[in-house]
Amino acid sequence: MLFLPHWPTDYLKRRDGGLKAPLVLYEVIKGGLRLAAVDAEAAGRGLSVGQNLADARAMVPELTVREMDRPLLEAAFADFADWHSNASPLVAAMNDVSGFGDLVLDITGVAHLFGGERPMLRLLLTRLRDLGYTVAGAIAPTIGAAWGVSHFARSQVVEMAELETVLDALPVHALRLAPAQIAGLSQMGLKTIGQLRPRERKPLQARFGASLLARLDQAYGMIEERMTPRLPPAELYAERRFADPIGLMDDVLMTCHDLAIQLAIRLEAEGQGGQAFHLFLYRVDHKVMALSVNSARLTRDPEHITKLFANRSERLEGDYDAGFGIDMIRLAASSVSELDAVQLGAFSHQGVAEDLDQLNDRMSSRLGTMAVLKTQLVASHIPERAARLVPALVANNADRAGWPIPVRPLRLLPVPELVAINAEVPEGLPASMIWRRESYKIEKASGPERLGAEWWRSGQRLQLVPPEEKPEKGEKPPHIPNLALFDPAAGTRDYYVVEDESGRRFWIFRQGFYTAENPPPWYLHGFFP
Amino acid sequence: MPAPDQQQRLAALRETIADIERKPALAEAQVTAEQQDGAFPALAGGMLQEMFTDERRNAGALLGFALAQAKGLLTLQRRAVIYLQLGDEAQKLGLPYGPGLLSFGFDPDALVLVRAANMAELLWAAEEAIACRAVAAVVADIGSHSKLLDFTASRRLSLRSAATGGSIFLLRYGQGRAASAAHLRWRLSPAQSTRRRHDARAPGPLRWRVELEKGGLIKNAIKNQTEFLLGWTEDGFATFAAQRRHADRRSGSTPLPRAVPAALADGLPQTA
Repeated sequence: MLFLPHWPTDYLKRRDGGLKAPLVLYEVIKGGLRLAAVDAEAAGRGLSVGQNLADARAMVPELTVREMDRPLLEAAFADFADWHSNASPLVAAMNDVSGFGDLVLDITGVAHLFGGERPMLRLLLTRLRDLGYTVAGAIAPTIGAAWGVSHFARSQVVEMAELETVLDALPVHALRLAPAQIAGLSQMGLKTIGQLRPRERKPLQARFGASLLARLDQAYGMIEERMTPRLPPAELYAERRFADPIGLMDDVLMTCHDLAIQLAIRLEAEGQGGQAFHLFLYRVDHKVMALSVNSARLTRDPEHITKLFANRSERLEGDYDAGFGIDMIRLAASSVSELDAVQLGAFSHQGVAEDLDQLNDRMSSRLGTMAVLKTQLVASHIPERAARLVPALVANNADRAGWPIPVRPLRLLPVPELVAINAEVPEGLPASMIWRRESYKIEKASGPERLGAEWWRSGQRLQLVPPEEKPEKGEKPPHIPNLALFDPAAGTRDYYVVEDESGRRFWIFRQGFYTAENPPPWYLHGFFP
Repeated sequence: MPAPDQQQRLAALRETIADIERKPALAEAQVTAEQQDGAFPALAGGMLQEMFTDERRNAGALLGFALAQAKGLLTLQRRAVIYLQLGDEAQKLGLPYGPGLLSFGFDPDALVLVRAANMAELLWAAEEAIACRAVAAVVADIGSHSKLLDFTASRRLSLRSAATGGSIFLLRYGQGRAASAAHLRWRLSPAQSTRRRHDARAPGPLRWRVELEKGGLIKNAIKNQTEFLLGWTEDGFATFAAQRRHADRRSGSTPLPRAVPAALADGLPQTA
């Protein structure tokens, strides 16, 4: 647990060197301007969070005052938290007590990389202090205990054996309680956790609620408390640290290639392959950039992985910003499962499907997944529902044997276009057509092929209305009072194949039937070869 | 006196240069195809072909011609065709439609649709796709003019396709022709379909008129034939004599594009 009591002010001072030392941030709380964050010097002169801004100015005349920009600080703290994953992959920003300032790191199985828990804590603290942050930290068997120790005792490592002694000496504030609960406890004269713990649990629960007991148990490890890591935990990764930060994308990709080879060796040793790969770039100024790519099939081929990242990086060319440099790169594999080594035969066709999948991967990584598509046939007689375009990686048309093959156009317009049709007699074949301001004399036509609406769907969905403008933010979407009852006549289409005098062939349809009042609209839906 | 390893490197470089020089210049690459009795030849892979049609409304016929050729290139080793289109041109030209591909005789599973955001990405995807040895053909549907698609770009594409053996079909619209390194250039226009059995008013089997505008197509061509009147069946192209434009309308025996449903009775419109 790392506790940074003055993180917002420390962060702003680092960002903007011109800010003078007694710095406070204010925001509007309960109708008044109150302090929301104070720096170390201001705290030393008696200012505290929640104080009235006018009082604070009176107490410290040379105070520097800024308004609190919460979204900016929250985003910055998230980056700051991510950056700490170079110490341990599981990092969470704890915000159940205050917005910023509490970082939880799960260092199970990590500490030995830093020479033990004590050196690790010292390293983390000194490196933050060197950057100008006020920080305290504690390593303890439970999250609750670490929080309490880091806030209310000196920075230390608490072993399981001494957990109770350390905790008993702490004030009840160290239990992450609500202010009302703390006030109640001090009224009862319970100052330290050690005084609170032997009390009867039932009266405590009746008076302070179950949350008090839950906090108590969490601190002592009676019940488990979980943290939600900010970045997905990676099962397998390879990483490299740089003595001098690097900045060029080419260097990053070269490192990525090396890491991919390392990762491939590990994956191969365990007989596994991954489907998703993530590249984390740790910048020296506490930001992490994450790039992710997916592969259609399990792989551990370093060349392929590098290629995917190279394509992916081309897509973010403008967004790539190495800042002051990158001092660590980590390549992680997720969605890992078993992949046995295969030997390709010289005359087999197995490699072909794999080549195609790799091509699709490469194109998807550069153009986006929704740009590389395949046709998925659907059992529906409505033409636009009969084929869906899905990402090429997931298409599967295995079970369509025996479906009828109707006469359909080679190209379909995504949205049918309105045309003007003249027919000799209302129910007869069309004789001429106007489409995109050009008129066509129809020489041949066949039809109609009548396609009814799917009655098991709402009639509303089949109507060809132009998509309505999206409501603006805050505006409510339009209310449709009553969905019309299903009307088979309105949703029925009569399709015709028509050919003009020079041989172009179109697929047109009439929506609905001829009625006495209005002629039904005609649409052009597709082109035949 | 250069060191021995330097000599080796020099020799290797010379070899590379000689290798480049030995490669045939693009347009002169000999296209050989067998032709029998004036029929449309079966064209091999490894060519960049431009296919022009005068107007965008002929897009259906143009795609049909490209896919008909691509179907002939599909093998067990090369089992995919990549179709490229700019994302915002779908409503102008229409998207290839799965059931329509089935009724045309093309397996929709073999077609991958790529919708690129701009011309640079489309050209990148074309090069990337043709470099894959499992791709039979790349069909690039380009509905608008772009400065990026110049002679250099087409030369790159034609080099790539000659090197890997897959074909690239550039579908273009309009009457303007820019310099390009394509091996062949076609101009296609739809022709009136022939009579359908038992229903004279319905569109019958399709006909395309294609004209070879560029490229020495066939070695032993009969009178340098450059114009074909084509039909399409499941087995491939059917060629008709171009000068007999209306002759086959009278003859009832024309190949049908696919099995037709049983005719009901003469004169009844078929609700196919």
